[in-house]
Amino acid sequence: MATKPTFSQEISNLLYASHGKPLKTCIQCGTCSGSCPVVDFMDQTPRRLIGMINADLKEDVLDCNTYWFCASCYQCTVRCPAQIDIADVMYAVKRYSIWHKTYRDDLVGPTFSETFVKTIVRSGRSYEPLLAPTYMFSMGIKEVLQEAHMATQMMLKGRMPVLPTKIKRLDNFKNMIRRIIPMGGAK
Amino acid sequence: MKKFAYFPGCSLEKLALSYNNSSVETSRMLGVELQELEDWNCCGATTYFHVDQLLAYTLVARNLAMAEKEGLDLVAPCSACYKNAYFTNKYIKEDADLAEHINYALEEDDLQFRGKINVHHVIEVYANEIGVEEVAAKVTNPLEGLRVAPYYGCQIVRPKHNGMDSENPQFFEALVSAMGAEAVDFPERLRCCGGSLIMTSRHAALDMVRTLLQSAVDCGTDVIATACPLCQVNLECYQLQVNDEFGTNFKLPVLYFTQLLGLAMGLPPKKIGIGSELVSAAPFFKKYLSKQVS
Amino acid sequence: MAQTRLLIIDDDPDYVDGIKAILEKADYHVDAVYNPKDGFAALAAQPYDLILLDIMMGRGAEGVMVARKLNKDPVLRNLPVLIITGIREQMAFLFPGQPVHPRILPTDELLEKPVDPKLLLEKVDALLKEAAAKKASGEQE
Repeated sequence: MATKPTFSQEISNLLYASHGKPLKTCIQCGTCSGSCPVVDFMDQTPRRLIGMINADLKEDVLDCNTYWFCASCYQCTVRCPAQIDIADVMYAVKRYSIWHKTYRDDLVGPTFSETFVKTIVRSGRSYEPLLAPTYMFSMGIKEVLQEAHMATQMMLKGRMPVLPTKIKRLDNFKNMIRRIIPMGGAK
Repeated sequence: MKKFAYFPGCSLEKLALSYNNSSVETSRMLGVELQELEDWNCCGATTYFHVDQLLAYTLVARNLAMAEKEGLDLVAPCSACYKNAYFTNKYIKEDADLAEHINYALEEDDLQFRGKINVHHVIEVYANEIGVEEVAAKVTNPLEGLRVAPYYGCQIVRPKHNGMDSENPQFFEALVSAMGAEAVDFPERLRCCGGSLIMTSRHAALDMVRTLLQSAVDCGTDVIATACPLCQVNLECYQLQVNDEFGTNFKLPVLYFTQLLGLAMGLPPKKIGIGSELVSAAPFFKKYLSKQVS
Repeated sequence: MAQTRLLIIDDDPDYVDGIKAILEKADYHVDAVYNPKDGFAALAAQPYDLILLDIMMGRGAEGVMVARKLNKDPVLRNLPVLIITGIREQMAFLFPGQPVHPRILPTDELLEKPVDPKLLLEKVDALLKEAAAKKASGEQE
C-alpha cells in the first residue's frame, strides 16, 4: 500500500489525471525558463520551481510567486522535451495553495481568481468592474489614476459594461454547479 | 451557407464589441453564418482552472452541449474561450468517467453532451474551413501598402492542437496577405501579451506589452492585427500606461483581424466597430476608406 | 476472526496519518491511498469493508465523482462510504457560510473535518453494522 507521500508526491497526486508526463521525468534543461515571457518577474524560474518540487522543498515552493505569475501561455508546455505539462503543474500548485490557504498575502492572483469564479457562479457571466477591487488595493495612487483614466476613455467609446449581465436559465445553471461542488444548500 | 454555433464570450459583449460585430459581418460576407448560442455562459477564461478543473469543464460543457443540440460545431473568437472549449471537448471525448460525471451535472439544465462536435477559432474558420484563396477572392479594397503585424499571441497555437505548428505558424500571415496588406516579419508574434496578469501582476504585464510594442515598431508596423480580446485590450488600451511607466511614446493602432478584413472587403467602418479604439488607426486608413464604394 | 479492512482515499498525508492512527488503535486494518486512481486500483486488488473518502482531490471535487462511480459498480455499491471533507473551508470563498450537502448522492454518511475521534469511531462502527445487517437480510431472502 502507498506510503506517506512526500511534497513532490502530493503535487503528483493533484496531477494524477494530467495529460503531461510525470514531474520526476524533468531533466532540468531550462527550456521552460528560457521560453517563459514572465521569468524576469518570478522569484524562482520555472526550471528551479520544478527542481524544488522534486527536492521536496515545500516551504520554499509555496512561498514563491512563480506559479501565481504564470500567464498560462503554454510556451513551456509545448517546448518541454520531457513532455511535462508545465502550465498544468503551475495550476496544480495554485490549487494546493488555495486549498491549504498557503498563498502569500501580497499576491493579487488568488483573490482575483476567487472573485472571478464567484461572479460566474452567481450570474453565469463575468463582469469586469466587479473584478477591479481585487487588484486596485495593491496599486499606488498613480496606477489608480491611470486605471480611472483608461476606464473613462473606454466608457466614452462604449466599451465599458455598465450593468452586469445574467444568463436566463440561472437556476438550472446553479443547480448544475451544485452537482459538481456539493455545497450551497441541497435543493 | 455554412453555419456554426457562435460563442462570443463575455469580453465581446462590450469590451470587444467591435470584434463581435466585425466577426459576424465578415463571416456573412464569406458565406458563413455565426448563429449565437442561446443563453451561453462564461467559460472561465484562464483564471480559475486551478480552483476546480471539474467545475471549469462543466461550465464549458454546457456551451458545447447547447451547440451540439443545434447540430453545429462551436466557434469562438476569443483565444482563451477557444482553448477552453477545444480542450474540454477533447478531454470529455477521451475520458468516459469525466463525460459521465459532467453529463450528470448537465441534466440539471436538460442538456447532454455526447462529444459529436468540433471546436474552432474564428481565424481557423477563415484559414481552414473557408480557405485563404476564398477570402482573397472577396477582397475588393486591398489594403495595399499597409504594414500589418500578425499577432498570434499564445492560446490560438498553444497548447498544440489540430496538428497546428506551434513554433512557426503561417496562417495569420496568409490571411493578412489575402487582404492585400503586407505581413511584416514580427519576431515576437507568438509571445504572450500577459493576459490577466495585467490585473494581478501589473508591472510584469506592462513590461510584456512594452516588449511586444517595441518589437512591432522595430519591424516597421503600421497596425497590429489580433485575434483575441485580451491581447487587443492589453496592447491597445494599456499603451498609455506603458508610455507612462517606461517613458516610451508608442502610438500603435491595434485592430482585430476581422476589422482589417472587413475594411478590405469594403464593409462600412461603423459596421465593423472602427472608431471605438483608443489609439486611432485613422491616419493609416484614410486612403483605404476613400476607396469605399457604398 | 479476520480484521475489518478500511480504505482511506484522501490527498492530505498528515490528515490521513491522524485518522489512520485512531482507526488502527481501534483494531481495524487500515490502508491509505492519496488519489482516486490509486483508490480504484486498491479496490480492484483486495477486498475492503468500508471506504473513508475525501472530496477535494486531484482536479477538484473528485470525491463526488468517486462516490458516484462506486455506486454504479454492482459489487462496490454495497460498500459503506464515509465521506470526510474539509470542503466548507476549502471552498468558503465560493459559498460563504453555506452548508455542505448532507448526503452526497449515494454515500452513506458525511462528516466535516476536523473530526472528533470518538465520533469517527462511532460512525465507522455504525456503518459497518448497518452493512452487515443489510448483507444478512439479503442472504436470507
